[in-house]
Amino acid sequence: MLFNSLTFVVFFVLVLALHRMPFGWVVKKFNLLLASYVFYAAWNPPFVLLLWFSTVLDWWAANAIARSENLRRRKALLMVSVLSNLGLLAYFKYGGFVLSNFSLGMQALGLDYQAPVWNIVLPVGISFYTFQTMSYTLDVYLGRAKPANSFLDFALFVTFFPQLVAGPIVRPTDLLPQFVRERVATIEQLCWGFMLMLLGLFEKIVLADGVFAPVSERVFGAATLVHPLDAWLGTMAFSGQIFCDFAGYTTCAIGASLMLGFALPDNFKFPYAAIGFSDFWRRWHISLSTWLRDYLYVPLGGNRHGEVRTYINLMLTMLLGGLWHGAAWTFVVWGGLHGIYLVLERGLRARFGELAVWRTALGQVSLMLLTYSLVCITWVFFRATDFASAWRMLQAMLGLDRSGAAVLSSYLVLSALVGVGGLLSTHWYMRDRELHQLAARTPAWLLGIALGSMLLLILITQGEGSAFIYFQF
Amino acid sequence: MTIDRVETNKGSAAPIAYVERPLPAVNLGALTLFALVFALLGLGIWEGYWRGVEGIQPSYRNSDSAWTVQRRRISQGEGDATLVIGSSRMLFGFNLDQWQQKTGARPIQLALQGTSPIVVLEDLAKDRSFTGKLLIGVTPGLMFSGRGFRHNVVELAHKETRSQRFGHWLSQRLLEPHFAFYGDDEYALFTILERQAWPQRTGFDLRPRVRKISLSDADRQTRLWDRVERDPSYQALAKQIWSLGWRPIKPEDLEKHHGMIQREIQRAAAAVKTLRARGVPTIFVRLPSAGPFYQYEQATYPRATSWDVLLQASGAPGIHFEDHPSLQGLTLPEYSHLNSHDAKVATEAIAEIIEREALWLR
Repeated sequence: MLFNSLTFVVFFVLVLALHRMPFGWVVKKFNLLLASYVFYAAWNPPFVLLLWFSTVLDWWAANAIARSENLRRRKALLMVSVLSNLGLLAYFKYGGFVLSNFSLGMQALGLDYQAPVWNIVLPVGISFYTFQTMSYTLDVYLGRAKPANSFLDFALFVTFFPQLVAGPIVRPTDLLPQFVRERVATIEQLCWGFMLMLLGLFEKIVLADGVFAPVSERVFGAATLVHPLDAWLGTMAFSGQIFCDFAGYTTCAIGASLMLGFALPDNFKFPYAAIGFSDFWRRWHISLSTWLRDYLYVPLGGNRHGEVRTYINLMLTMLLGGLWHGAAWTFVVWGGLHGIYLVLERGLRARFGELAVWRTALGQVSLMLLTYSLVCITWVFFRATDFASAWRMLQAMLGLDRSGAAVLSSYLVLSALVGVGGLLSTHWYMRDRELHQLAARTPAWLLGIALGSMLLLILITQGEGSAFIYFQF
Repeated sequence: MTIDRVETNKGSAAPIAYVERPLPAVNLGALTLFALVFALLGLGIWEGYWRGVEGIQPSYRNSDSAWTVQRRRISQGEGDATLVIGSSRMLFGFNLDQWQQKTGARPIQLALQGTSPIVVLEDLAKDRSFTGKLLIGVTPGLMFSGRGFRHNVVELAHKETRSQRFGHWLSQRLLEPHFAFYGDDEYALFTILERQAWPQRTGFDLRPRVRKISLSDADRQTRLWDRVERDPSYQALAKQIWSLGWRPIKPEDLEKHHGMIQREIQRAAAAVKTLRARGVPTIFVRLPSAGPFYQYEQATYPRATSWDVLLQASGAPGIHFEDHPSLQGLTLPEYSHLNSHDAKVATEAIAEIIEREALWLR
C-alpha cells in the first residue's frame, strides 16, 4: 500500500479512528499490528510469512541470548539470527545476482555453464525490516538493549506500518519503549503529523514525480549519447527525484507515526547542503548510515587501528552499503565512489587540516557545490541500468564527447533548473535549521497559505500513484 | 527538542532512548483548518475553471486499472464473452451499446490507444479461460510496427495488488463521476505547464503528445470527444499532431521496415492460430482512416504486404473498410477516428457483415 494512494487514505483514517477509540492499550496495539499486516499484505499476502518468520526467530533468539551466560551459546544464537536474516535477504535479493555472476565466472574460465532462470519476486522492504530485526538481536547480544517483555510489542516493533517498507530503520530503543504506555496523539501532534504527511506527499507527488522524474527519465531513458547539458540536468534532476522520493516517504512515515502518537527519528537533514562527504552521510539516509557505522564499521575496527585499516574499513562499509541498495555492480560502484570520497576527504583533512579560506561564506558555498557535484557523479551509477549507459552519461557530463543529441525540451530544461535551484537553495537555507523552528518563525497566514498550496498542488497534480524508489531495495 | 533519559521504564526492560518529535510553537489546529479551507477554495476554483471556462464534465479515466478490471472479467466467469482488442480506432470506433443492441450481448472492451494489440493477443492466447470470440482492430502503423505505450497493462493485470484494485474502485465511485478536473490526465498540472508555448530549444526534435480526443464510461465504452467533433481549431491541432508522425521510410531502412512487418504478422498469426485451435473464433477489423493519414498508411503499410498477408498467415477472416460500402463515407473529424455517431453506424455494419458472411464460423 502506497502513502500516495486513495487506499491508504481510507486505511489510515480507519486506523486513526480505531486508535482514538476508548479501547485498552493492548487492544490498540493489537489493532496496529493487524493494520500493519494488512498494510504489508496489500502488496503480496504470502510475504507476510517472512515477517512472521523474522519476528518469531528474533524474539526467540534475543530471549535465549539474554537468558544465557554461556558466551559460546550466545554467539551461536546470534549467528543463527544474523545468518537467517541475511539468508532471507540473500535468497530473495541476491540469488539471481550471485547466479549470473557465477555463470559469467564459469564462462570466463571456459566452462559452458548456464545458470538456471531465477524468477524470485523481491518482497517489498525486505532490506529494511531484516536490518531492523537484526539490530534487535545484535543490541541484546551487545547489552545495548534488553529484550522486549511482550511478544506483541516486539511484533509491532518489527511490523509497525509507517516505517515498515522503507524506513527509517529504527533501533529497539527507538520504538519498543513507546509501546509500553498508552500513546495517543494530542491535537497538536495530530495537526503537525498531518502537516508532515502533507510535506512528504508534496515532495513525492509534486516534486519527485511531477518536476524531476520527467527530466531524469527522458535523459536516462535515451538509448544514445545525450548532449552535455542534458546529461547534467538529467543527473541533477535524478538527485532531486531520489531525495524528494525517499525523504518524502520518510517524512510521511514520521507524520503518520506522530498522528498515532509515536515518535520516529529523522532520516534526512538537508543532505545537499553537506560540506564534504562525512557531512553528507550524517544527513543522508541517517538510519542506514548509523546502522552501518554501528554494526559494520565499528566492529571492523573503525578508526582504531591506524590510517590504512581505517580506509579499508571505510571502503568495505561503503561497498556493502552500495550492495544493500541493489543486487547489481552499478550499486557497488556507487558505494565504492562514496568510499573513495570519504577516504580522500579524511586524507586531505589529515594532511592540510582546516584552511581558513574554506570557512568563509564563499568557501563554504563552493565546498557545498563541489560536494553536490561529486555526489551527482555517483548518482549516475545508481540510476543507470548498466555500465554502458553510465559511461555514456559520464562521457557527456565530463565533456569527453559533446556530440550527443538534445533530448530535453525547453520546458524540461527550465523545470530542471528551477527544481534543482529551489532544492539546493532550500537545503542551504535549512542547513542548520529545523522544520519546526522555521514553522514557529513564519507568520501564521503565510504558513497556512504554504500548506494549503501544497495540498492544492498535490490534488491538481493528479499523481499516478507511482511506487517509491526505495521500495525496490 | 527533549530527550527522555530515564534509563528504565516500568513494564519494559529496554532503556528509553527515543526522541520526542518537537512541535512548533504555533496554533496548529487553526493553522490546519486554514490550510484545509485554503486548499478547498483553490480546488473549487480549479474545478469551476474546467467546468465553466473549458466546458469539461466529469468522466471516467481511461486508466490502467480500468483496463485490468475488464481483463479480469475473463477469469471471473465471463470467459465466453466477445472481446474487442486493437488500438484507439477500435476503442473509439466500436460502440458497445450498439453491438449489444444488435447481438444481445455486451462485449468486453480491451483496446488500448496508441498501442499494438499483439501483446494483448498473445496474453489471451495463453489464457485458457478465454473461450469466447475475438475482434481484433488493425491500425497499420501500430499493428505492423508492434509499437505502443500501454503494453505495461498486460503485466499489471496479472500483478495488480489488492491495494491498487481498491484504489481504482474508490476512484470510480468517489472521484471520477464527480470531479471534472480529475477525468483525464490532460488536466493535470504538469501536463498543462508542459503544453504552454515555450520557446523551442535549438536542435531539439519536439514531438507533442497526442491531446485528449476521447471520453470513456466506467466499462471503457469510449467515444470521440465532442470537442474534436465540433471545434475546427481543435481538429486542426489533432491533425497537426498526427502529421508529425507521418515520416516516410528512408530507402536504407526499407529492408528493416519490411522485416518488422513480417515479424509482427508472424507474432499475430501464431497467437491467432493458438486461439482458433482452441475454438475461439477471431476476426480482424480494419476501420476507416481518411485524407493524408490514409495516404500515409497506404504508402507505408500497403494492404498487399500487410493486411492481406496477415489474413493469409493467420487463417482468420477479416473486415476491411475498403471492401464494404457500409463502412465507407463515414465521418473522421481528424482523419483517424470515427465520430461518435458513425462509430455506432460502423459497429452495426460490422455486426451485419459478420452475420451475413457467417464470419464467426470461418
